[in-house]
Amino acid sequence: MNKENDNPFRNGLVNRAVAEPCTLVIFGATGDLTRRKLIPALYNLAADGNLPSGLAVVCFARRDKTSEGFREELGEAARKYSRRPVNDELWARFAANIFYHRSSFDDPVGYVSLGKELEALDTRLGTRGNHLFYLASSPTEFDIILENLRSSGLSHAKPGSWARIIVEKPFGTDLPSAHRLNEAVAAAFPERDTFRIDHYLGKETAQNLIVLRFANTVFEALWNHRYVENVQITASEPLGVEARAGYYEKSGALRDMVQNHLLQLLCLTAMEPPTDLSADAVRDEKVKVLRALRPLTGKTVEENVVRAQYTGGFINGRDEPGYREEPGVAPDSMTDTYVALRLHIDNWRWAGVPFFVRVGKRLPKSGTEIAIQFRPTPPVLFNRESQLQDANALVIRIQPDEGISFRMAAKMPGALLQIEPVKMDFHYGTSFGKPTPEAYERLLLDAMSGDATLFARRDEVEHAWRFIDGIRAAWDDGAAPRLDFYPAGTWGPREADDLLAQDGAVWRRL
Amino acid sequence: MAQAVTPSLQTSSPGLRVEVGEIDRKLGELWSASEAGKVRASLVNLVVYSEAPDAIEENTSLLAGIAADHAFRALLVQADPGAGKNDVEAWITAHCHMRGAGGMKEICSEQITFRLDGPAAERLPNIVFSHLDSDLPLCFWWQGQLHPQPAPQLWTRVDRLIVDSQSWVQPAPQFAILREIEALSGGHCAVCDLNWTRIFHLRYAIAQIFDNPAAREKLPRLESVEIRYLYGHRLTALELLGWIASRLGWHLEQDGKKQFFRRRDGGETAFVLREEKEASSAVAAVEFRFPGAAASARRAESGDFYIVEFAHGSDVAVSQMLPAGREKISDILLSELGRVGRHPLFWPSIRAIEPLL
Repeated sequence: MNKENDNPFRNGLVNRAVAEPCTLVIFGATGDLTRRKLIPALYNLAADGNLPSGLAVVCFARRDKTSEGFREELGEAARKYSRRPVNDELWARFAANIFYHRSSFDDPVGYVSLGKELEALDTRLGTRGNHLFYLASSPTEFDIILENLRSSGLSHAKPGSWARIIVEKPFGTDLPSAHRLNEAVAAAFPERDTFRIDHYLGKETAQNLIVLRFANTVFEALWNHRYVENVQITASEPLGVEARAGYYEKSGALRDMVQNHLLQLLCLTAMEPPTDLSADAVRDEKVKVLRALRPLTGKTVEENVVRAQYTGGFINGRDEPGYREEPGVAPDSMTDTYVALRLHIDNWRWAGVPFFVRVGKRLPKSGTEIAIQFRPTPPVLFNRESQLQDANALVIRIQPDEGISFRMAAKMPGALLQIEPVKMDFHYGTSFGKPTPEAYERLLLDAMSGDATLFARRDEVEHAWRFIDGIRAAWDDGAAPRLDFYPAGTWGPREADDLLAQDGAVWRRL
Repeated sequence: MAQAVTPSLQTSSPGLRVEVGEIDRKLGELWSASEAGKVRASLVNLVVYSEAPDAIEENTSLLAGIAADHAFRALLVQADPGAGKNDVEAWITAHCHMRGAGGMKEICSEQITFRLDGPAAERLPNIVFSHLDSDLPLCFWWQGQLHPQPAPQLWTRVDRLIVDSQSWVQPAPQFAILREIEALSGGHCAVCDLNWTRIFHLRYAIAQIFDNPAAREKLPRLESVEIRYLYGHRLTALELLGWIASRLGWHLEQDGKKQFFRRRDGGETAFVLREEKEASSAVAAVEFRFPGAAASARRAESGDFYIVEFAHGSDVAVSQMLPAGREKISDILLSELGRVGRHPLFWPSIRAIEPLL
């Protein structure tokens, strides 16, 4: 329903879809995600006046708790993790509509009682039968929750209402499991009501990438194989595996980061202009990029992928253990903590342009960025001795210190004709004093408004897995590549540098 | 000598006195002499014009405060057209705040201050145009009463004219000048009344009430509207009333001494504007009465939020807290600077209450 048309006072106030009254049901609500991200995000939305007048939160989990007790726990979490100080009066009003629903995920009776609770809330709080289910539990529970939502009828909205589902990553661990999960979701919810969260897409700079490309004349004209030498997408972090060894041993960097976040960034960088800004128009273009990705299988994996693992080293003044010495990690683990890939997009725009993607743990500093490395000028006049790393580069920093910089050549002052690269730098934090909302705030708001633009569609997820599975298959076959090693606190293995050297390129220095 | 680059503390000093012809050179010197690590930033050219005697100190403090949230190049002009001398004086300064990753960068906004005495006040267009940061939008905040016969050479090049109608003694002729300026600029210059910005959060809160279908259903039969406002803010309350009336398609009518709005269904809606000496904010509360139901938006005790409610009979269907925004003039200005685009509902709202001005 478009409230702009119905509510005469809405017109001219906001230029985005308005969140509709609803009940948000969080499955696995006693987990970290709810305390650290979801509740602080909802509180901040309330403080900004972005929540609908009718909103209830039902926390569905197994542990024995009361609503009152759980509200107190969440209040402490909100005070700790909210990006703004918590106002007691506002929190009290907001928290009054948070309810704890105790049930195991596999107990159908728990869903029947949930249904009754939702009906009562619809009547009492005017949530209009709109229900937003959030799968924040362990992925192993997704199937049974979805099955129970379907069999209890909760996934089926009443006429004039809606039932939507938000699915947290990982969306499967490979194509077959992603396909199974998508089938389970599809059996309960139509695709238009399915919201797969990739929180990278909720980040301000990721959204700004589309604005940068399609709201400016200069960049899009150069955004192709005629002017771009290569594209580098980097996600580096100094942290190790921390307490996630159990999960990370099974996933590794390729599944944990490349399949979702980095391929999403690649899609936003490489896609064609969408016909409009609707969710499907944008996602159609992203899918076309994934379909045009040259598959890596067998021998080509060896030629285009470097996988590596960190050994003991030194970061931020501390000695750090190697991955195999971390608690919960097998002493002979072959898990990749670093991956570098050379990708090609076989379409008209990007023919011949390598996309270098790297992600790693225990690298010297934290940073996610996209760098468009432009072709060097012809080697005449000023450029007889210039190197590729002196050529123009446009860098979009996703985190931290979000912003955009552009490297260009300038004459050094003086009688000598000496050219030096200089940098024009735009920092969000410098120009806009306004605090940037957390990614979850934007994404929750969009899900409540029914805008799926910043969520992954089923075909996107499956295409991405198909691509990743080709690489995994080569690794599992032992065909290639071998596992390389790098000391913690360095920029990855030498083999990753060699990968770029084959194209006469070097990794950007962060 | 006055300090030219001020740290993040607020200051009322206009800084270093300079000759008008030397401003660019002195600004350059100021930056080359300042410590490394200072970054000059600007999103907008902000001209602040006032004829109040203490305008320089007050506005310098205000600009120092907002620089942290909205980088600018400010041209602060204090004019005294009636002064016996003909003189232009100028000062330069910068307002710096620690920001960036880890708060380690010092971000600075420039301020150039002018005092124009006597006939020199007529040089305003040249003073403005000679000292703009190129390519950035030009926002012109005219404080106090607008001059009749506005100068076309100025307004055709201003992107946004900011006024605060709350300070106007005779609003009707001032609105007429505002319309004239808008027309002179060929529609290029967007008009922004801070009084209109002042009620943005309240309008948002009211809209939130009527997202509820039960409340919306009652709207066509609204019996009365009561607005309680702080002494001195009658025009703020009127602009809110005008917004309500224009959104609902009402027309103001008079029957003897009685004034009321004629609704679209032909019915009458009464209105009351109640001035209060000690109201908590410019507009403290709005109450809507329907047959068998009532809705309200009022400031919470904490002052940071509005509490909106809708009840039919004893059943409270809507009860919510929404941000109220701050009422300091610097916060209202910041809110306006942070917004892009025009205010399409402003003039229809003014038209709806024009006879009451």
